[in-house]
Amino acid sequence: MSAYDEDYDESLVQDLKEQTAFEDGMGEDLERVSSMTMAQQTDDIQSRLAAAAQPLDFSAPLAVKFESYDSYCNLFHFILNSDGPVDLEPPSYYWAWDVIDEFIYQFNSFSSYRMRLARQPRDNEEDRQILRENPNTWGCYSVLNVLYSLIQRSQISEQLGAMKRNEDPMTVAGEYGKKNLYRMLGYFSIIGLLRVHCLLGDFSLALKTLDDIELNKKAMFARVMAAHFTTYYYVGFSYMMMHRYADAIRMFSHILVYVSRTKNFQKNAQYDSITKKNDQMYALIAICVAFHPTRLDDTIHTALREKYGDQLLKLQRGGPESLPIYEELFKAACPKFISPVPPDFDNPEANVDPIDHHLAIFMDEVKTNMWSPTVKSYLRLYTTMDLKKLAGFLEVQPEELRSYLLVNKQRTKQLRWTDQSLLDGEWINVSDLDYAMQGDLIHISEAKVGRKLVDWYLRNLARTYN
Amino acid sequence: MEGEDPQERPDYISSIINGLERYNPEAVGTLEDYLRAQCEQRYCDMNANRTLLKLSTNARYQLNPDRLKDEVITNILVKAMTCFPSPQFSLALHIIPPSILAPTSRGELPEAISKLRELDTQLQGAQYARFWATLDSDDLYADLVADIDGFEELIRIRTATLASHAFREIEISVLAEWLGLDEAAATKFVTETAGWKIEDGQVKVPRNAENEAKKAEVREDVNVEMFSRIVRRAWEETA
Repeated sequence: MSAYDEDYDESLVQDLKEQTAFEDGMGEDLERVSSMTMAQQTDDIQSRLAAAAQPLDFSAPLAVKFESYDSYCNLFHFILNSDGPVDLEPPSYYWAWDVIDEFIYQFNSFSSYRMRLARQPRDNEEDRQILRENPNTWGCYSVLNVLYSLIQRSQISEQLGAMKRNEDPMTVAGEYGKKNLYRMLGYFSIIGLLRVHCLLGDFSLALKTLDDIELNKKAMFARVMAAHFTTYYYVGFSYMMMHRYADAIRMFSHILVYVSRTKNFQKNAQYDSITKKNDQMYALIAICVAFHPTRLDDTIHTALREKYGDQLLKLQRGGPESLPIYEELFKAACPKFISPVPPDFDNPEANVDPIDHHLAIFMDEVKTNMWSPTVKSYLRLYTTMDLKKLAGFLEVQPEELRSYLLVNKQRTKQLRWTDQSLLDGEWINVSDLDYAMQGDLIHISEAKVGRKLVDWYLRNLARTYN
Repeated sequence: MEGEDPQERPDYISSIINGLERYNPEAVGTLEDYLRAQCEQRYCDMNANRTLLKLSTNARYQLNPDRLKDEVITNILVKAMTCFPSPQFSLALHIIPPSILAPTSRGELPEAISKLRELDTQLQGAQYARFWATLDSDDLYADLVADIDGFEELIRIRTATLASHAFREIEISVLAEWLGLDEAAATKFVTETAGWKIEDGQVKVPRNAENEAKKAEVREDVNVEMFSRIVRRAWEETA
């Protein structure tokens, strides 16, 4: 059985390699590696493992970025395509996460740099020439290829499936997946894939990637703070882009509460590196709360008012004045998106910053919803209201108001994640305000929200332990 | 999500989109045939269509540009549009390479996409009367939706369904504009397709869960599991 699996596994890896080789030049890289002797490789392997997890300076020259790409290709080729699993232990528990994280980070910053040069024709002709001639270095298919291959090799999806069924993952791990090195790389490649799909703008595929990981259970990633944090940021962001604001708020709140409660235990260096993402998530919560007003956890609420109080107020007022605030917060808090295709160096003006691309599409949704806060604030004051009279208050035509009412009504119905796949959920009414129209008469009902005591009780109880 | 994973999807499509085949340019033909089937049989599988959209737009730049068929991209977008108000249309836009969507880009495809985007914005904004006016304003629109069987009827059915979620009664004149029909045709649509009654020019929408707007009290659901951590901690610390 296991022999069959390996063959199958091997053939999938081979397939993917063939599919991507001709379009991304990975094939040449693989050739180059095989010409090195095995002895050379084992000699320096420990130092290469350590080097792969080391951050590359952001301002490193282009040649160094190319070299770094080559050494990742070599290392992954060695790990994936040696004769049988390589007999190595990861240098530390964090190592596998650090490698995948750094690999994607370099891919991301390389892509941003390339895009910037392609857009500014007078800048750095030498680098432009090198980039033009090597469109496939740090190509997104190579990066995806590595992540998928690591996932396949380690049988991590099968292992996680077994764990979900309360079975021993080792029985399905295969020759490779039994080893820590492969299991950890495979596992964090899933998180890596979540991130890369999101960076490329495929938000539903990003969420689908996590199907094997149970977010609400004690997940393996939670042991590495940076991984835990990153996962929730990308899951929350993907939800926001799928217009599932209630779920986005839930994800951001979950991790922000966790950070605020554990910050005393976190090592300082680790904590510093997440401070920026922390602020970004507050900005995203501000956006989501404007779309979907909800009661936040007290800690989050207080911090949000401190950091983005003014902006939140403007967002909650809605209307055209809120649009620049949405743009400002989105740009400050979105991931550094990557274009799925290499830029066109011959037509600088044809290259669009992918952030502007995604922002523009998101702003369509913002504009569609921008009157909802105003409409809701009026509806809250009445139990019945004449549509034409309300249109008069708002100084709009009755037809416009009907549209606003429909839009707002449609957006209060949202899919809400329960505990299945992240893309699934239950359709629920996410607002406490509901209404229905009888001709021009609007019937309004507001749900009374009882006090939520459990959270308050638990937090105060926890305090007595300290 | 609307139009995401339809029951009609055959197994061979599932195996493409759930595996590494989704990156194989050879899968384009199969996915194009499947898109054609969706257009003819009036269902929508945007999960598969996004796979096709990525393969074909990325192919434009990387493999052979002549392989790219503009109508594949526009048909996918029109199918996505019929799933309003779900975010299918914007999810599809997000994966189209930025340079095609740029306000400055010229050519037939960018123009077609920006036209479709305007239509979708009107549907998303519940400006249904304006949607029909836009659709009639340019012959290009008729070309763009030509491959999608029953496009207008699909839009009408969704519009009527969404209206029924918000209205208990609605003037036939208003609904007619939203359906892009004159009053006689709208009356026929309402009574025959939707099966609703019309009294004194008011369409009577049957009660449903959405148009009741019932008063409700939201209470906190409390269960034992919420306390499991604190109980365990008490246990562990005393042990």
